[in-house]
Amino acid sequence: MEDNKIEVQSTQFIVVNIGIEQFGIDIKYVDNIVRMQKMTRVPKAPKFFRGVINLRGEIVPIMSIRRKFELEDDTFTDKTRIIILKPDQQEPIGIIVDQVKEVLSLDSENIEKVQTDLNDEKSKYINAVGKYNDSLISILNINGVIDV
Amino acid sequence: MDVSQYLEIFIDETKEHLQNLSQQLMILEEEPENADTINEIFRAAHSLKGMAGTMGYKRMQHLTHIMENMLSEIRNGKIDVNADLVDVLFQCLDALETYLDNITQSQDEGTDDNEAIIARLNGFLNGESGEAKPKKGKKKAASKEAETEKEQTKDIKLAPFEVRAIKEAFRKKMQVYKLEVHVDENCILKAARAFLVFKSLEELGEVIKSEPSAQDIEDEKFEYDFTIYIVTERSMDVVKATVENVSEIRKVIIEEITEVPDVDETVEDEDDEKEEAKAKTSESSAVAVAEKNVPATAKGGAVGAATKTSGKPVVNRSVRVDIEKLDVLMNLVSELIIAKNGLVSVSSSEEGIVSLGFNEQIEYLERVTTNLHESVMKVRMMPIESVTQKFPKMVRDLSKKLDKQMKLYITGEDTELDRTVIDEIGDPLMHLLRNSADHGLEDSEERERRGKDPVGNIYLNAYQDGNNVVIEVKDDGNGIDVENIKRKAIEKGALTPEQAEVMTDKEVIDLLFKPSFSTAKQVTDVSGRGVGLDVVKTKIESLGGDIEVKTKLGEGSAFIIRLPLTLAIIQSLMVEVGEEKYAISLGNIQTIEDVLVTDIRYVQSKEVINLRGTVIPLIRLHDILDIEPSQENVESLTAVIVKKGDRQAGLIVDRLIGQQEIVIKSLGKYINNNSKIISGATILGDGEVALILDANALV
Repeated sequence: MEDNKIEVQSTQFIVVNIGIEQFGIDIKYVDNIVRMQKMTRVPKAPKFFRGVINLRGEIVPIMSIRRKFELEDDTFTDKTRIIILKPDQQEPIGIIVDQVKEVLSLDSENIEKVQTDLNDEKSKYINAVGKYNDSLISILNINGVIDV
Repeated sequence: MDVSQYLEIFIDETKEHLQNLSQQLMILEEEPENADTINEIFRAAHSLKGMAGTMGYKRMQHLTHIMENMLSEIRNGKIDVNADLVDVLFQCLDALETYLDNITQSQDEGTDDNEAIIARLNGFLNGESGEAKPKKGKKKAASKEAETEKEQTKDIKLAPFEVRAIKEAFRKKMQVYKLEVHVDENCILKAARAFLVFKSLEELGEVIKSEPSAQDIEDEKFEYDFTIYIVTERSMDVVKATVENVSEIRKVIIEEITEVPDVDETVEDEDDEKEEAKAKTSESSAVAVAEKNVPATAKGGAVGAATKTSGKPVVNRSVRVDIEKLDVLMNLVSELIIAKNGLVSVSSSEEGIVSLGFNEQIEYLERVTTNLHESVMKVRMMPIESVTQKFPKMVRDLSKKLDKQMKLYITGEDTELDRTVIDEIGDPLMHLLRNSADHGLEDSEERERRGKDPVGNIYLNAYQDGNNVVIEVKDDGNGIDVENIKRKAIEKGALTPEQAEVMTDKEVIDLLFKPSFSTAKQVTDVSGRGVGLDVVKTKIESLGGDIEVKTKLGEGSAFIIRLPLTLAIIQSLMVEVGEEKYAISLGNIQTIEDVLVTDIRYVQSKEVINLRGTVIPLIRLHDILDIEPSQENVESLTAVIVKKGDRQAGLIVDRLIGQQEIVIKSLGKYINNNSKIISGATILGDGEVALILDANALV
């Protein structure tokens, strides 16, 4: 999966599965994709932080998207991956996804912005919906997701 | 020929010279007749002048030049040292420090000419020697100008891009001058002189052309003269004077270029051409960099930096390292490589020998890494002197400002601390000293009434104590008046009289470290705004240290700061709680005890033990860390006794793993703010992450 690179002009997204939904992560935020590994739990941390890992000598906190989105708790399989995100000017952070599917490039006409519903805390996690063939991909608002 | 790369060195060295100057001035004030000191001050001023000149800081150079003149008169016995004069010299020092600050912030010395100081200096010069020395140079320059006015410069052919640069300059209403510089025929280092000419010109504007090329000039491939085209906003006189300021320059012929030199270039559409010319100028400067090693953009860069409004210094922090320490490091690194190679060869050799050879290699590797760690630590260590040396002058200034007599004694300046700590500790110490001077010491009459020496004493002592460095700021002043603090606190509504009644002295003194609490009866500009001791405390705690106060009313007070020797790597005890591993800093640990379950007592329904006469509360880490307690019924528990100040606590763990040297890593900002009990993380040998427990937060 890591080597999946396509040459395109429009925005590229890494498409991941979390539960039954497909999410897209803008490739510019993605630093690395690593396999699930042993995490060290941090006591008293918010529940959606599953712990920290050692990524080449750096301590990187790992967030469970499922816990954050209040979905069913993670079950780790061979396909579980940690996506290391590096938002601009910020420290890296990892998010756990069930599976990394592919890398897609979507033209802007296929991306539809969604309104943020101020009453729904969770709506700030998604900032657009992408259409690809017949499926819909929720584009994650990375800054919203990692905002703790 | 870019000087910006020397900026760091310049700043470092200037700091040193200023420091030296300050120390020597302090001595001079005490012993006005000390010839050595005067010589030393003269040398410092002279070096500063030279350095400022090289870097093109004209104002700084001018000021030091006049200082030097005056000092030389003193040296020759023509002017006597008196308090007034020392005062002016101190003012000079302050002015120079301001210049240096400006340079550190923005690479630019600022625009303050310090006319007043210069006038006072000249007053001394004129008053005593009757000779206006600094003007002499200018007169000479003027006469020279007259004599060279009619001379013509040689004709030089310009390349098209250079012509375009000139055109561009005209459009921007800048002046273009052609200078023919003649170096003195007795000059030994022609290239060096030429370099100085270039450099000073680059400060004024952009050198667009030189003949011979800058490279050739640098290689001394010229006779005694060379020609330069410069684009600048300054006047002809300024440019000329600048070049003439460089010593061993015989004469300078300058002429203004007012029309575009002839080139076979067709003038295109105005707008179009504007764009192109712009592009070309930048290209030409790029070419200049590449071909002639003249960074024509240097000036632009400096201006850009100067306009930055942020207060962040543009210069990187640097450490001067003893070359011997570096050699040791180098050796260790080569040993590291040998050790690695050893491991490689062991792994590829026969099975049987593997285990034996392998262990040997591991031991070797361990030895190397331990040494390496030690050497790197040494490189990071700096004597505390670099912070304390500015204090004598500060106390002197304070003494004048507060109109109290005081003296500062410093010991243990060679005590070494980690560079990061050194950088941060200056302000807190300064604050404590001011505090002592302002609040601590009484004024002279008061002191005499109390039968003390009218001159107040402040002591700054630094020494190493185990894994800590202790810095004490002591004074023999009035001490802290506990009752006064109580009164103040009640006045401010921070305490009720009943509360105050039952407080211990220590608790009252701790109030001083609370935000916005100042006991000064009046707010002075030295201290007393109440943003003091709490900031000091916060800062010191952020460095992993703590601060303690000892005081005796009427006899003085002492602020005692304890700091860890280093921050990045600590000795720790690894423990296991449930399945998880945690590190506890050895610095916090007092003892490790086996506690029989039957020995546990309850005080206010909290578990305590009586350990050799001391009652120590027990903290079950399982509970704190949300770990399922082990179900086995055990007879005894392992307690790690940790200490913070004079409080103790026993941390109950499941298993001890052992002592280990760990590298502290931050947990990052995402998690850190939520739990203070975890102070960081470290990576264990197997790549796993273990968290570091902050015993201070637990006790």
